[in-house]
Amino acid sequence: MAEADHGHRCGRTDETMTNFILRRLGQSIILLLIMSVLVFAGMYVISDPVAVMAGEDATEADRQALARSFGLDQPLPIQYLTFLGKIVQGDFGTSFVYGRPVLALIFERLPATLEVVFLAILVGLAVGIPLGIYSGLNRKKAPTKVISFGTTVGYSIPNFWQALLFILVFAVWLRVLPASGRGPTTEIFGVGWSVFNAEGLRYVILPAANLAVALICMQTRLARSGTQEVMYQDYMMFARAKGIARSRLIGRHLLRNILIPIVTITGLELGTLIAFSTVTETVFSWPGIGKLLLDSIYRSDRPVVVAYMILATLMFVLINLVADIIYAILDPRIRYS
Amino acid sequence: MMAPLLAIEDLSIAYQLGDGRDAEAISGFSLHLERGRIVGIVGQSGAGKSTIGKAILGLMGDNARITGGTIALDGTDITRFSEARFAAIRGKRIGYIYQNPMTALNPVLSIGEQLIEAIEANTTRRGGDARAYAVELLKSAEVTHAEERLAKYPHQLSGGLCQRIVFAIAIAAQPDLIIADEPTTALDVTVQKAVLATLKKLAREKQISIVLITHDMGVVAQMCDGVSVLWRGRLVEHGPTAQVIGAPRERYTRDLMAAIPTVDHKRARFDVLDSFEDTPGRRRGIAFLKSGIAAGRDGQSLLSIRNLSKTFDAQGGRGTSGGFRALDGVAFEVFAGETLGIVGESGSGKSTIGRAILGLVEPDAGASIAFQGRPIAEMRGRRDRVALSRSLQCIFQDPYSSLNPRMNAGTNITYGIVAQGLVSRAEAKVLAQDLLEVVGLPRAAAGKMPHAFSGGERQRIGIARALAFRPELIFCDEPTSALDVTVQAEILNLMKELQETLGLTLVFVSHDLAVVRQMCDRVIVMRAGRMVEEGNADEVLTAPRETYTRDLLAAMPRIAFEDA
Ligand SMILES: Nc1ncnc2c1ncn2[C@@H]1O[C@H](COP(=O)(O)OP(=O)(O)OP(=O)(O)O)[C@@H](O)[C@H]1O
Ligand SMILES: [Mg+2]
Repeated sequence: MAEADHGHRCGRTDETMTNFILRRLGQSIILLLIMSVLVFAGMYVISDPVAVMAGEDATEADRQALARSFGLDQPLPIQYLTFLGKIVQGDFGTSFVYGRPVLALIFERLPATLEVVFLAILVGLAVGIPLGIYSGLNRKKAPTKVISFGTTVGYSIPNFWQALLFILVFAVWLRVLPASGRGPTTEIFGVGWSVFNAEGLRYVILPAANLAVALICMQTRLARSGTQEVMYQDYMMFARAKGIARSRLIGRHLLRNILIPIVTITGLELGTLIAFSTVTETVFSWPGIGKLLLDSIYRSDRPVVVAYMILATLMFVLINLVADIIYAILDPRIRYS
Repeated sequence: MMAPLLAIEDLSIAYQLGDGRDAEAISGFSLHLERGRIVGIVGQSGAGKSTIGKAILGLMGDNARITGGTIALDGTDITRFSEARFAAIRGKRIGYIYQNPMTALNPVLSIGEQLIEAIEANTTRRGGDARAYAVELLKSAEVTHAEERLAKYPHQLSGGLCQRIVFAIAIAAQPDLIIADEPTTALDVTVQKAVLATLKKLAREKQISIVLITHDMGVVAQMCDGVSVLWRGRLVEHGPTAQVIGAPRERYTRDLMAAIPTVDHKRARFDVLDSFEDTPGRRRGIAFLKSGIAAGRDGQSLLSIRNLSKTFDAQGGRGTSGGFRALDGVAFEVFAGETLGIVGESGSGKSTIGRAILGLVEPDAGASIAFQGRPIAEMRGRRDRVALSRSLQCIFQDPYSSLNPRMNAGTNITYGIVAQGLVSRAEAKVLAQDLLEVVGLPRAAAGKMPHAFSGGERQRIGIARALAFRPELIFCDEPTSALDVTVQAEILNLMKELQETLGLTLVFVSHDLAVVRQMCDRVIVMRAGRMVEEGNADEVLTAPRETYTRDLLAAMPRIAFEDA
């Protein structure tokens, strides 16, 4: 009996993984170049760093000397090319304001952002997925109504407003958590983290919670719509007919299927949070990179802003790539086609 | 005397519809089944066969309610069982084999995991012991390379293999009873016969009783000791298979038997009984179809395929290099206004041809597929793509996975044509209802979600959606495999009519050679990726030149009796 085992039911033309990655990298380089031009030009149009650095009572000669020392007297295309050449060698320039290498500045602030963001994502997944599955499975029950009301409210209250509410309730009224700043850090692999000690953790809670609200709402919705879709699939009924435990039915058969969109979207969200948690970091005076970005824009610190945007683009590209790879791992239909 | 294993008395079941009304799906159904016996439930698409099967396992949806009667398993009424008590008998005392093996298995979990979890849930075997038993089960379900299959995923296996794996899962705990819901609908005729033989062997060896749900009288004749005939939720006749098939007492059963097409002679139309109601909506729907399908330039070549080969990379290929040749130098023409049949056993490449035409798989270099003289590979722009999808549609064998589960039936039918601007959103609503009537479903069905339809009803929604484009050519991949003869006859007659009056062109893949005989002008016989025979349908199917074609014809289940 010729029952060939070549299902190939998915509608994808074949492409090897390496090909795919190479093609994506090619696209990324073009994207990065465009980004660098845009940011560079944009910063030039918006403000004049010499004016900001030199201050009110500088003479014309002072300004010219200042411009020369930073290479700002050259024509714009030359400035751009010099800048690009340095970037390729890993030199992102020196901050006008801090007078230190931009890269060092960013990496110094990065751990603070990372710990808040990852904590928020973990909380988002840990709370959102169960809530979403519950409301997907029990559409008519009262808690589902409460959950869906909650997600709507969570979405519609602006982020900074939530942050202020948190401060008001937990820091001002209840006085259980600090309202701003970063607490003591513990050194791990030469980097200071505050989540790894009890006192530091108290400082992380409010900013992380602030970011987590939107994440919880998003994960809940994704998990709920995924559950409603997967629940009615034939294989779910067949799995029930096999007599397996409900925990397995949900924890394995359902979860593995709804995880696919959740991973993809969470991946994208991760990038946005790392690069642009500016509101939260500002409200809680959290010394992360988002706050650095805002301060730098404010002070026309062009090298910092430009480097920041380019690194952020790079990060998005990488996160996308990783999300696609995880996607392929989760979905064998893609992995084997 | 011992109580029968399964005794259903006067069972009634209703589904609550979206608007709160109850629709009675089963009324006053009874059935008795002794140990070790096989009983068939036959009937029209949507008659309520699957509903009965699901009721025995407590698997009906939230909106289903048993409104009367009892289902006794070994004397215990299970209709009032809680989910927990049902869980205790599912898999252990009652196994389930599902209508469509391709969708019964979870696409993202490996075969091994899905089989082993059933073993661990229902037997005392664990770990390595369970694994060894899994291999043993696969072997007894006649799965080749049992050991290697454990690491595979469902989409890597053919429908026949998936169904054997489903068998292995169903018999894992040696249940007393198996509910087999259309176990072979989705399979080709050659595989179908072997798969049924396996099921029968397992039942005999392990003394398992089977409730076999089917719309195929041939399957009943081959498998069942007794048969119950169901019509719109009511039992019309039951008795020993030989009597019901050989000397049916009720008119419906007689008509049902008479409507079965045969491969031996060709009729102008399929025999229709219980025909679809001729409503204004249905007439409007048919008029819509007729007004748009471009009149064919009869005899002109519409689709031309040259040198089509497809090699799939060897998958997870330990040791084996090279790849698998699914198609090898296939070449044929489809002329406007004709019906071309493609037949051949499972894995012979029939569906791959369709996927290549639709651009879902990339053919090997050197192939050329041209539609109306233009190579499809060149039609890449958005304009071209839209034009192509408008004139070239397909109807899939597996209707459920091609419907969007989040949209109701009406939206499923029309979203494609609305998106392409062929009809306005306002017209779409009425059109969807008209088209539902064209395929024999009530207008109200437009508001139901896909999961609330029976297998055959889902397939008809897929047909309505393809017709809505009013295409010039439809590639039909087993379009009526889930339909009983009566509904199938209506649908195929409709297609024939559209073809005769408008010159609609059909490429028709089917395992049912009788249907191919009725429908097709020419046929192609495929074997292992190659075309072995091509010619006039009448000639090929009555006087085949190749032994392979003769074997295919011989494998057709016919209404003949095996000695019991
Ligand atoms: N969840 C549901 N909600 C509402 N109606 C339903 C639901 N499930 C099935 N039905 C309806 O009940 C009727 C019987 O369906 P059932 O699936 O039992 O038919 P069937 O005999 O198995 O048909 P087929 O041969 O096409 O599979 C159909 O008209 C169907 O539309
Ligand atoms: Mg059914």
